[in-house]
Amino acid sequence: MENIIEIKQLNKTFGDVKAVQDLSFCVKEGELFAFLGVNGAGKSTTINIMCGQLAKDSGSVVINGLDLDRNVDRIKADLGVVFQNSVLDSALSVYDNLESRAALYGIRGAAFRDRLRELSDRLEFGSLLKRSVGKLSGGQRRRIDIARALLHRPKILILDEPTTGLDPQTRKNLWDVISDLRKNEGMTVFLTTHYMEEAADADYVVILDSGKTAATGTPLALKNAYVGDYLTLYGVEEGVVKGLGLNYEPVRDGFRIVVQSTAQATELILKNPDVFRDYELVKGKMDDVFLSVTGKKLTGGENK
Amino acid sequence: MSTVSILIKRNTKLFFKDKGMFFTALITPGILLVLYATFLSNVYRDGFTAGLPEEMTLSEDLIQGLVSGQLISSLLAVSCVTVAFCSNFLMVQDKANGTVKDLRISPVKSSVLSLSYYIATLLSTLLICLVATGLCLLYVVSQGWYLAATDVLLLFLDVVILVFFGTALSSVINFFLSSQGQISAVGTVISAGYGFICGAYMPISSFGEGLQKVVSLLPGTYGTSLLRNHALQGAFAEMEAQGVPVQVTDSLRELLDCRVDFFGHTVSEPMMYLILGGSVAVLVLVYILLNALKKPR
Repeated sequence: MENIIEIKQLNKTFGDVKAVQDLSFCVKEGELFAFLGVNGAGKSTTINIMCGQLAKDSGSVVINGLDLDRNVDRIKADLGVVFQNSVLDSALSVYDNLESRAALYGIRGAAFRDRLRELSDRLEFGSLLKRSVGKLSGGQRRRIDIARALLHRPKILILDEPTTGLDPQTRKNLWDVISDLRKNEGMTVFLTTHYMEEAADADYVVILDSGKTAATGTPLALKNAYVGDYLTLYGVEEGVVKGLGLNYEPVRDGFRIVVQSTAQATELILKNPDVFRDYELVKGKMDDVFLSVTGKKLTGGENK
Repeated sequence: MSTVSILIKRNTKLFFKDKGMFFTALITPGILLVLYATFLSNVYRDGFTAGLPEEMTLSEDLIQGLVSGQLISSLLAVSCVTVAFCSNFLMVQDKANGTVKDLRISPVKSSVLSLSYYIATLLSTLLICLVATGLCLLYVVSQGWYLAATDVLLLFLDVVILVFFGTALSSVINFFLSSQGQISAVGTVISAGYGFICGAYMPISSFGEGLQKVVSLLPGTYGTSLLRNHALQGAFAEMEAQGVPVQVTDSLRELLDCRVDFFGHTVSEPMMYLILGGSVAVLVLVYILLNALKKPR
């Protein structure tokens, strides 16, 4: 797969604050890329630079083979953005909103109506076209936000915390839509999120801390590199677990042992087959990776 | 429809659907109507009759014609500017609520967005002010009609040129605003202040000499004066026809700001049009330059 986004040594300061420092990463075409960091880590600054909303101090940004410095308008046509908070006009109807946004890309008249029909079928909002955006539920509004971002058939869909504040069912529905888009249109998805289970499904992850890259890799590689596995043992006495000589903690109906890697867990199980008759092995979570890398917890939109 | 026209449609719809913005635009004319209903009407009436020779009386119709002429010229002078400001606050509101980000992530030229705000403000303000002019004229009919067809046409021309001025001025000032707080502050200053400085609440001639000189530097002053001239011209002509000495009507013209001095020189009507037209041109040029020179931070 080709790189569709290439960012090299990107720097941006606001007064004394270094918002982005020597940031470099690549995103491959068609992948789900997760960009993680607490508020103020530099995610939005980077996205704003990519979208031509902020000028960078130094570094290079190449999107779909085009240099941002020379082709900002062509790059804008390749990007669709779903903002954290809906920025559609709440007083206007869904139709009026999408009509005015489509016009920004030169999509008007019959071309607009055709694209609208296509998107309303796919995202199931045909019945909402005459409703004011302000009167829609959170999930309905999100679907319209996604439709707005897709009006001009962008190559890259940037999702800036798209599911924050949505209920679990609506979040699931949105992810079904996004997965469908990736599968059917080969769209690259650039995601920032506070929900680590969403990042766990990404093809590649970049974790930012104070404007710098703190860690990069696939979720599996990050888990292997930064956190151990959890081996939970059931139906044994505490003395037996203590006898293994490893750190453990009691959990309901059993004991949880922290092991450094899956290999260590396998070795332990093979060495003690009588002890490991009822057990489960779970890999560390992305929350643990994030905590281990940054020393900060990323939970539901707030830093802890 | 072109991109600009679709954006103009969006901006115009938003203005009329946002009851807050729409009614804020009507605050100043509303204040004026309340002042008129409570005491301004009597003040105007006394002002007209006090200057007359003792043996002379004017018909009630003629006095009402004068009073209503002064009222409608004041109303229109403030409305053309305050409505333009409130309509153009959409530009600021888009920045304050982040909508502008959604517009600017597209490849649309910044000049297209700016033009759409300008034309939408112009159309909304023209629509409201021309309807208001029509209603004002109906009111004058009910009170005492002395206007000639030329006066009516010139009155409409004054409104149109003042709307152009209000739109251009608000475009330049609103360009620098970016938050709801700033909208409230500027909205309050314009609503409360413009009625005074343009001479709508009190004639400029009643201000102190220093303030009069300052006000004569503001192009809006000449808009008020043009409206006054054309709203009162018919009534003054009738007064003169009924035998009121020209000196009396002349002093009334001065009292009611039909004549404005610029550092000792009386400004003629064509010069007033020139000043307003020139101001519009300069403000539009400044607005274009501001947009052209704006770069991402």
